Amino acid sequence: MTIPVLICDDSSVARKQMARTLPDDWDIEISFAKHGEEALSAIKEGLGDILFLDLNMPVMDGYETLENISKLDLPTMVIVVSGDIQPEAHKRVKDLGAIDFIKKPTSKEALSELLEKFGLYRPTEGIPANAPPVEKTVIKGEIGQIEYRDCIQEIANVAMGQAADLLARLLNVFVKLPIPNVNLLEVSELEMALSQTEGSTTYSAVCQGFIGSGICGEALLIFSDSSFEDIAKLLNYTGDLNRMVELELLMEVASILVGACTNGIAQQLDTNFSQGHPVVLGQHVQVGSLIKANSKRWKKTLAIEITYEIENYNISCDLLLLFTEDSLDNLNKRLSYLMD
Amino acid sequence: MSEPNIDIKEFHWLMDMLQTIDVGLVVLDKEHNIKVWNSFMESHSGLTPLQTKDKNLFDLFEELPKDWLMHKTGSVFMLKNRSFMTWEQRPYLFKFKNNRPITGTEPFMYQNITISPLASTDGNVNHVAIIIYDVTDIAANRNALEKANLELETLSRTDRLTKLNNRGYWEECLSKEFSRYQRYKTTCSVIMFDIDHFKKVNDTYGHQAGDEVIRLVSKVLTNNLRATDIAGRYGGEEFGVILGNTDAESAMVFCERVREEIAALEVTYEGQLIKFTVSLGISQAVDSIPDYVTWLNEADQALYASKEGGRNQTNTFKHS
Repeated sequence: MTIPVLICDDSSVARKQMARTLPDDWDIEISFAKHGEEALSAIKEGLGDILFLDLNMPVMDGYETLENISKLDLPTMVIVVSGDIQPEAHKRVKDLGAIDFIKKPTSKEALSELLEKFGLYRPTEGIPANAPPVEKTVIKGEIGQIEYRDCIQEIANVAMGQAADLLARLLNVFVKLPIPNVNLLEVSELEMALSQTEGSTTYSAVCQGFIGSGICGEALLIFSDSSFEDIAKLLNYTGDLNRMVELELLMEVASILVGACTNGIAQQLDTNFSQGHPVVLGQHVQVGSLIKANSKRWKKTLAIEITYEIENYNISCDLLLLFTEDSLDNLNKRLSYLMD
Repeated sequence: MSEPNIDIKEFHWLMDMLQTIDVGLVVLDKEHNIKVWNSFMESHSGLTPLQTKDKNLFDLFEELPKDWLMHKTGSVFMLKNRSFMTWEQRPYLFKFKNNRPITGTEPFMYQNITISPLASTDGNVNHVAIIIYDVTDIAANRNALEKANLELETLSRTDRLTKLNNRGYWEECLSKEFSRYQRYKTTCSVIMFDIDHFKKVNDTYGHQAGDEVIRLVSKVLTNNLRATDIAGRYGGEEFGVILGNTDAESAMVFCERVREEIAALEVTYEGQLIKFTVSLGISQAVDSIPDYVTWLNEADQALYASKEGGRNQTNTFKHS
């Protein structure tokens, strides 16, 4: 009997990767949804007996989708597929009714194993390993045109999840993950984008260079100064919250977020980055004065912006990964496995 | 190290390189026992690899910030992620001498520190490497630059003759004080005053005598200031004072004290006795004042009233 399977993810790259990871000999029909609302209506049409669900999506995210599924008592089995690998995220989706959780990037083996565990799929015996995959019918929705930006976004998504997991373990909290913002910016636009967050609040920031395989750039971690009080609490710093303590906290969080994020990206690009030593850009300054960009040397930058927030605490920080213009070609080449 | 296929000769020069590299390398196990101690560490600490091998780091170096370092290595072991520390947060980990003891300006070696997880063949992290970079020159340059900038900043806002704030910086302060008033409604007053018939002093006794008079007036003013008051030389013989947390009545007390002290001054310049007085004007900030320029202008009008009234006196601007 052919099983209707629904893949719900806002990223075309992730939809494609998921479809590609499904067992070749699994008798299914596939539909795609770009966010929770589309998924709900597809399930109502009977197109999603099994739902592979992403967590961070616009319009309606994975958590809300799970809530709605249980509220409306919709007939579907949900497997959450996410880059958010915090144990707490895992626990939450299970509490909301998901049967299991699989981390991005998904592997064929891990997925088959999981499907077998729930009796949803049994490998057909006697199929030669090199047999061409059975074409699966797509009923509704589409993978969509895969753009360069989507690839970067998906890679950032996975790396950001790994970094958040480390931060969550260090601070013993739940880190709220956003959808990473990917943009090709002119230098002047970067300054503008930064100064948009400007207000009466002041910021502290460190930057750290990374380079490898012809790809290089800088990671910037920008903290609003109001965050430090809560971070100090979480890291058990007692006593006065002076500039030195704040610097200590800033460096500690930067080591983790920047290290894990750049490592995560390097892994997915199948390379290694060597990191320079972090440098303090400023403490208690207006955001605009953090970057005195050397606009003569470079014009465009690929910017990935990730805003981490910590649940129940007044902590928010911006991680900006900026790639130089001359890195883009090499980045492209290494991303091509996601594009074809 | 037990890899049988590494050529022993190759191993030798690899080790040689780690030994001679101009960066400190220390490998620690989970108990903080020293496993590797390269020659950079030997030279600067005076302890040989043999003396440190398998010894506990904190036993050998009691002055190390133990809790801090254990917190750092702990998170590297747990998260298998590199940790970085800059000289700005902690000037050094190991207290080593500056490696230019004669020409160097700093008494000790500034250090940047990286703590890296070292994975064994089974993928577990049982050791960490502490890498110590000598960044004394960078730190010294940065410190010197910051000091120079601070001096420049002071210079650029100070009046040479009187060492009071110059007009530009004083007006900046006035504008800030007025904004503070608008936001928090704290009582504050501004004073303008100038030296009566100063042109005559200049014309009669010469410019150097005039300068001396201005210097003396500044001195009397400075001696009467409280820590939070801000005085500036506004023009040639014109001065301004911002009095925080002060109403017009208290400002009057301040003005009268300054006025009387100045009137009592007897300056002898090249054998000639010079006597002089000042006229003062006060304005207390009120809600009807739209901006700091108007506020200052009101003090100026009060000063004008003092001149009109016969000089050597203080007047307060009357808000209707």
